[in-house]
Amino acid sequence: MSSYKGLTQEWLDAWKQKIAESKEYKEIAKDWEGSVSIIVNAAPDKNLPETAYLFTDYWHGDVRDFVLCDEARALSARFIMSGEYVRWKQVATKELDATKALMQGKLKLKGDLTYVVRNVKTINKVIDLLTEVNTIWPDEA
Amino acid sequence: MELNISNNAGDVPFAHILQELLAGTIEKSESRQAIYKKMKGAIAIALPDIEAAVTLVFQQGRMTIEAGITKNPALIITTSSDLVTDLNMLTICWGLPYYFNEAGRRVLGHIVSGRLKIQGLLYHPVLLTRLTILMSVM
Repeated sequence: MSSYKGLTQEWLDAWKQKIAESKEYKEIAKDWEGSVSIIVNAAPDKNLPETAYLFTDYWHGDVRDFVLCDEARALSARFIMSGEYVRWKQVATKELDATKALMQGKLKLKGDLTYVVRNVKTINKVIDLLTEVNTIWPDEA
Repeated sequence: MELNISNNAGDVPFAHILQELLAGTIEKSESRQAIYKKMKGAIAIALPDIEAAVTLVFQQGRMTIEAGITKNPALIITTSSDLVTDLNMLTICWGLPYYFNEAGRRVLGHIVSGRLKIQGLLYHPVLLTRLTILMSVM
């Protein structure tokens, strides 16, 4: 099984492929419209010297752009999730439930929260598929 | 409609989530706004797994969110952070929460199994029903 360096374009491509290949995701996400950006705050002590901006876009069960981007594009997404590197890594390795992280303020969300809650299964599935990507995190490299 | 929501639980991230959710659902529906204007009483929601608790104090068109369980709440809802959003998934049919679909059965299952506890349920069913309607994102 291939491994990917976390927070790189190759890693995003692998995650996108997992999602695109998932029939379950296609069914769950049939009502989801819109982009989600992920902002991973810089953590120089974890080998992440600069904030990472990821732009991911979903449309009725299909996956569109999945790219590393600049701050401006990240802030243009319909939903913006941000947090510290260690929290994102915990979410991506299933150590921390994303919903719980939001409720504890460990991750922050900007966007229509009612829409997100209504589609929480979609979010959880996308995160589940991320956990299937064999990742070498920056602090493990 | 001006919702007049005050959040006095600024240090509790869960309070911001609740505030945003409730404001979002009430703003989008005139029937929910009518219910909000009628609601009077305090309801606490406790999530022991993340050590968070807030009390929602409804005063007929005004709501204050307080940190912790306070103001002698008529209802105390205790559950875990990963289950509390199931309350938001309840569908409203003919003005009442509907418990006979997947989301409803899941909430009933939580109650039966003790993962969701509602103190005051028998004495304040109307207040609980109104809260459930306001919390529903469906």
